[in-house]
Amino acid sequence: MNYKELLDKLSSRTGQSKGDTRKLLKETVSVISSQLAEGEGVSIPGLGTFGTRLTNERKIYNPHFDDYVVVPKKRVVDFSQAADLKEKIRIVEKSDE
Amino acid sequence: MSEKITFKELVDRIAEETRQSQSSASSFIYELVDLIELELRSGQPVSISGFGKFELRWMNERKGTHPRTGEEITIPGQNKVVFKPFKSLREKVNAPFAHLESELAGDKPKAEKVEVKEVAVAGRHSSADTLEDHIIEREIPSHLKKPTPAPLSPKEEESAHTQKQKTIAGATLSDLEKSPSFVDESSLRNVHERSNFNWSMAAAGVLVMLAFLLFFFISQQQDESEEISLPAERTETPIVNGQEEADEAVVLDLAPTPLPPEPIPQPVQSSSGEISTEEISTLPGESLWFLAERELGNPVLWPAIYYLNRELLDDPNALPLHSAIRIPRFSDNENLSSNERELVALGYFELYQWNLQNTPQEARYFLWVANIFSEELISRSEGQIREEDLAFALNR
Repeated sequence: MNYKELLDKLSSRTGQSKGDTRKLLKETVSVISSQLAEGEGVSIPGLGTFGTRLTNERKIYNPHFDDYVVVPKKRVVDFSQAADLKEKIRIVEKSDE
Repeated sequence: MSEKITFKELVDRIAEETRQSQSSASSFIYELVDLIELELRSGQPVSISGFGKFELRWMNERKGTHPRTGEEITIPGQNKVVFKPFKSLREKVNAPFAHLESELAGDKPKAEKVEVKEVAVAGRHSSADTLEDHIIEREIPSHLKKPTPAPLSPKEEESAHTQKQKTIAGATLSDLEKSPSFVDESSLRNVHERSNFNWSMAAAGVLVMLAFLLFFFISQQQDESEEISLPAERTETPIVNGQEEADEAVVLDLAPTPLPPEPIPQPVQSSSGEISTEEISTLPGESLWFLAERELGNPVLWPAIYYLNRELLDDPNALPLHSAIRIPRFSDNENLSSNERELVALGYFELYQWNLQNTPQEARYFLWVANIFSEELISRSEGQIREEDLAFALNR
């Protein structure tokens, strides 16, 4: 499902205009993003928890340089699914839709 | 490590920013979550632009221990929701650490592996020469029982030499191809197409040569059979076989000999001091790499063109359209003379300095190749080289 389909479906569900829906969605995304950018988390019931974690510095082999490359530590987005969502999607038929 | 905000805070913030009621904001979130769930249950991923993509990933059945009893249990295969952040979000989150960059660790892991790879490259490039030699040496005696006029050993030395030379070309070529900033993709593709073309040309060339030699020897044999008596011919025959075997043995000996990984080029002495040049006009889609491939037969030599035109070219990666470019005319593109090598090295050195200004990360590779082409150059211009680059170029 792409962004446009998402907006269409959302606006028909909430009964709001597409413009408002877009604003809401953008705002949701920006709130979560800025929260993550500060290294803090957001938990959304029924979906999961967004957070960040640090990866360690590590060495990987890069065939381009034929050498090991030290990849610095990074802060990455960490998402863990909500327990109720986990139960719902545990087994799904891929052939739907 | 993170402080979480709750659903209520999230709703508050959204309602505030969009100037909508809290209830509409919260119902929006519920609908969003619902929709994502629905979509995931039908097996479809959900992408939210500027954010990321939710999708299902199948986790295989695995063994685990029961957290409370400690006994081993089998966790059945199941789906899991994974969230893949898009680049914008990844960068935003990683902002505090964005200044850290990947660095080469400096300890080369598998030196042996490198050697094998480079030999393989060399073999691919030069197999035409040895093949050609093989064919010629085998074909001539089988068709005509006559001694080959001149001993083949100098020719073999020469072929061994070109083999060495090509190793360098092969090694640098493969290295250059690896580096993204050297060449754009289209010209690379061009190189591959052209190399295919050269193969068929080489095959045609071999055939023509064979035909010519055959003709030549047949006519000579006819001449000699009129002049030389039979016993003389008989005495000659065993010598031929002996020599032929010896020659073949040398060739066979030469072929599998592993070449040194990076042989230092032996400059071929040439008496000509000046390198003649020729001007050509650039067309759309051409690059220095492409021009070197077409005009000089080896794209690795492109810095020589850059060096000759450095006043005209601000950026070696951008070739101005319809401008006159000076192309060097080398006496032999396979075996460059010392001052021709010098020219290529100067080009690489010029590129090193250009890259120091623009992409310092890449610069040292140019210095390294410059050193391969001319060792004196580096020692002459030590003041202009960063120490770490010098160490890299000399020790790689």
